[in-house]
Amino acid sequence: MSSDKSAEKYLNLKTKAKEKMESLNEKTVVMVGAATCGKAAGVIDTREALKDEIEKKGIDAQVVEVGCMGFCYAEPIVVISKPGFPSLCYGSVDEGLAVRLVEDYLVNDDPCFEYALVALEPNDYFPVFTDFPRGVYEKKIILEQCGFIDPEDIDHYLAEDGYEALAKTFEIQPEEVIESIKESKLRGRGGAGFPAGIKWDVCSKAQDDSKYVICNADEGDPGAFMDRSILESNPHQVIEGLIISAYAVGASKGYIYVRSEYPQAVRRVETALEQAREKGLLGDSILETDFSFDIEIFEGSGAFVCGEETALINSMEGIMGVPEHRPPFPASYGFRGKPTLINNVKTLSYVPHIIRKGVEWFKSIGTSDSPGTAVFALVGKVEYTGLVEVPMGTSLRNLIYDVGGGVPDEKDFKAVQIGGPSGGCLPESALDIPIDFDSLHEAGAIMGSGGLVVLNEDDCMVEIARYFLDFTQKESCGKCTFCRLGTKHMLDMLGEITRGEGELNHLDTLRELGEDIKKGSLCGLGKTAPNPVLTTLRYFKDEYEAHIKEKRCPALMCMHLLGFYIIPERCSKFCSACVGSCPTEAIYTRDDQLKAIDQEKCVKCNSCLFACPPEFYAVEKLSPAELVEEREREQG
Amino acid sequence: MSDKVTITIDDCKITAPEGEKLLWVALDNDIYIPNLCALKEKDRPSASCRLCFVEVKGISDPVTACTLPVTEGLVVKTRSPEVDRLVKTAFELLITDHRLGCKKCPANNSCELQKISKERGLKYKSKRFKPFEKDEPIDESMEQFIFDRSRCVLCGRCVWVDHHVAEVGAIGFSLRGIKRKVTTFGDYDLADSPCTECGECVKVCPVGALSFNE
Amino acid sequence: MLRRNIDVFEECKNKALLKFVIMLGELNCVKEMFLLELLEGEKEFILEQVSEILKNNRTERENLVPLLQKVQGVLGYLPEPAIEKIAKTIDIPAVDVFGLATFYNQLRLNPPGKYQIKVCMGTACHMIGGQIILESFERRLDIVEGETTPDRKCSLERVACVGCCAIAPVVVVNEFIEGSLTPTRVDGILLQFDGDDQEEEAGEQEQEQESEGGQDS
Repeated sequence: MSSDKSAEKYLNLKTKAKEKMESLNEKTVVMVGAATCGKAAGVIDTREALKDEIEKKGIDAQVVEVGCMGFCYAEPIVVISKPGFPSLCYGSVDEGLAVRLVEDYLVNDDPCFEYALVALEPNDYFPVFTDFPRGVYEKKIILEQCGFIDPEDIDHYLAEDGYEALAKTFEIQPEEVIESIKESKLRGRGGAGFPAGIKWDVCSKAQDDSKYVICNADEGDPGAFMDRSILESNPHQVIEGLIISAYAVGASKGYIYVRSEYPQAVRRVETALEQAREKGLLGDSILETDFSFDIEIFEGSGAFVCGEETALINSMEGIMGVPEHRPPFPASYGFRGKPTLINNVKTLSYVPHIIRKGVEWFKSIGTSDSPGTAVFALVGKVEYTGLVEVPMGTSLRNLIYDVGGGVPDEKDFKAVQIGGPSGGCLPESALDIPIDFDSLHEAGAIMGSGGLVVLNEDDCMVEIARYFLDFTQKESCGKCTFCRLGTKHMLDMLGEITRGEGELNHLDTLRELGEDIKKGSLCGLGKTAPNPVLTTLRYFKDEYEAHIKEKRCPALMCMHLLGFYIIPERCSKFCSACVGSCPTEAIYTRDDQLKAIDQEKCVKCNSCLFACPPEFYAVEKLSPAELVEEREREQG
Repeated sequence: MSDKVTITIDDCKITAPEGEKLLWVALDNDIYIPNLCALKEKDRPSASCRLCFVEVKGISDPVTACTLPVTEGLVVKTRSPEVDRLVKTAFELLITDHRLGCKKCPANNSCELQKISKERGLKYKSKRFKPFEKDEPIDESMEQFIFDRSRCVLCGRCVWVDHHVAEVGAIGFSLRGIKRKVTTFGDYDLADSPCTECGECVKVCPVGALSFNE
Repeated sequence: MLRRNIDVFEECKNKALLKFVIMLGELNCVKEMFLLELLEGEKEFILEQVSEILKNNRTERENLVPLLQKVQGVLGYLPEPAIEKIAKTIDIPAVDVFGLATFYNQLRLNPPGKYQIKVCMGTACHMIGGQIILESFERRLDIVEGETTPDRKCSLERVACVGCCAIAPVVVVNEFIEGSLTPTRVDGILLQFDGDDQEEEAGEQEQEQESEGGQDS
């Protein structure tokens, strides 16, 4: 292997990229976060306003689209790097603020600190990440560059030591690469946490003339979007990881399996692949070595179950995406019957960092059995929603209260749902357990794909269990008996409970059936589907019992057990906000000009509750629904 | 695969070709293990009916016999409290999705579900789960046989022989999850499909979903 | 090309409407079968389009899903003759392609509405009232999730997380994302459709008048 030549070739690429970046940094650069989430929040308007204003004022500044920085609560986000000032990040930048930033900052040198979120490098004016509690607990590895480099320009990545790990890889033997990954104890981030090194080893040892590597980006978990975010914000990191894995196991062809629901991710990966080919980092004789490898994109067609390895392979072969029995594992018998290494986006993203910074560095982060970091999509009833990356072993409490800023609106924390439809709900008492694969598993949840939903007192645990089961039941492929019929029966029972038609013996049946589905199902989808139900039954049985025995939903969420009532003492004769808000004309004006609700017509949509002005606060939710009648009778 | 191995099933020593799937070894030696979806000719078992669970020494959870290649010294029990529990649940689930009424069923007395029920003492009625309503229209468009989808257990045997034995390609699975079913292209009658009435699919149906006209 | 497709589609809409409505009522599901009776000339048009795609792409089984995606990309759905043609070209049973088309969420056998409404049912949206939004649409459009209105104007679907959890509840109309929805906003969105339609019609009339005017002079 001509490693000297490849190192030289790489250095050449990097130097050129650095020169380009330096000349770029001499000017003012305005970066707008334009991942899918940013676009939904209106970043396109912001970008246009910035461009127009910059042009109008005749300023020499460049507007660059970048990916997602992970501060979803503050979208649209803009970062301004102006020579002579620290790079500053601004949140909630609408068109008005965009114009003002150009006017005040770009023209008149006033950085508008009142709108800044954080500074990107240490300075004397404004705090940086580590000055906030969030920054103390967060440790960014695979999200580090997301949102700060242009995903559509490979030079940004190259200038930040991108592809250095690849050049380094070519200096050592494939076995040594595998040994490093094994030693680093990197565990698969797709959910189950299987040691990546062992998988690589099996695939590498399989004797065959052709092998494949696949990046699994079929992220379908409702509420998890980190894979999309990484692909949209830093696609080269994943590509580099995939090339290294191909070199390690001896594959000549790779695929990135992306959901077609992520059009922007597909587009950005396409661009990235093209640029990598142009630079000689992909294709024939990569970096002038004798290693040739290319990557193709395969767009998934919207089936959650295709995240399962064997189903994913089936769908790539043009047959129905249903799972097969394992073994044989894809690492020995996979795509086209050949040894196939399948890794999640996040797993592959760690690979370049491990190779570049070393095994010891990686092991120094996180816990001894789960080294590295955990990436979560932090959503729900938490102050700072977004993508977060913390070292393994951080407690859930730190994650929710320090990184996430706690539960807003002075509400009480109730539970945290980890791992989406395959995960579970953990109560307050479990908040001090450390986040790692084994501890979460013990508590009944799983790391899963990294969705983390914080639930407060207004969230009904029976309903959340029903919701997740409804998802898995709809996404079940229907091949095996337990998953096809078992999840449907569980869902029907949960539906009855949330409608107040449940019976107490349902609870035992749910638990028994749930355990059997876990043991009896063919694939990972079925094996984990009952988790949300089993954990809520374990930790929140009293809520289930309230639904069954009292027909009462303690969180006032299950519509069938609710009634809306307007408290006459609080209602005002001179206001009819609720009347206008009601989509079904269920609210009428009584003879005394106060308002009341026709229970027959009410669809329990919450509209009146939000419409009623805070000074009256007259609409009340009651459960069980009979309470409304009782109140009305009391009133006479 | 000519090497023979000795294994133990329910305390019986049995010699079998190495690598053969446990289910067939057991059935060949008159040891019954419940099954619906297995086909000996099929290389990769579909393992979808989840009925052939057995207990293997050294493995904590029950495993499916149709997917387990036999190796020297394998020790298997076809019954255990855990195995029985899983088989009972799987059977109960299938029964809730199967139109009962054995007397009127063409497969009465040759039905695999009846056999499982008899062998394992399982009831046709589930106390725990409410049966789903099954009233799919019956396809009587063919002369030789009828297709009653409400009795189908989705074992997939008919689809496999249609594709790989008869090589016709008239039927296949469509939709997914609880809606998954065996259909023709466009879900039209069999008479409007490429079906040649070879009858291969009828022969492998373990229940009364596909049956010859008398 | 697309324009022509829409023309056929529009024509088809008017003529086949009655039959379509009746079938919808009976079957209550748009995913499972081909509900649409194709018009004269429409089949030829479809086959032409499909042949074009088949000519420019690999026609092997492995490429089946991408082929279906491409056909749907052009036609908006997978009509019966298209599936038959693809199956024949790849030389596999048509029922296998049918199975695939009914298995995947993305693929559809029947044309979507002019306005495709996708209500996000991701976790964050659900917990904050996605179901209420879905029900509001169902109530206003008088269809249930998975259906298209008889006039083929709106189709209603639920989708799993679109990844915009911070502005939940979210709905995607065609490719535009709307956040922080309320039942009142649902009414607003539907009104907006009417407005857009009227504008379109007015625009068309104007065009017609213009061309007529041109002819006169």
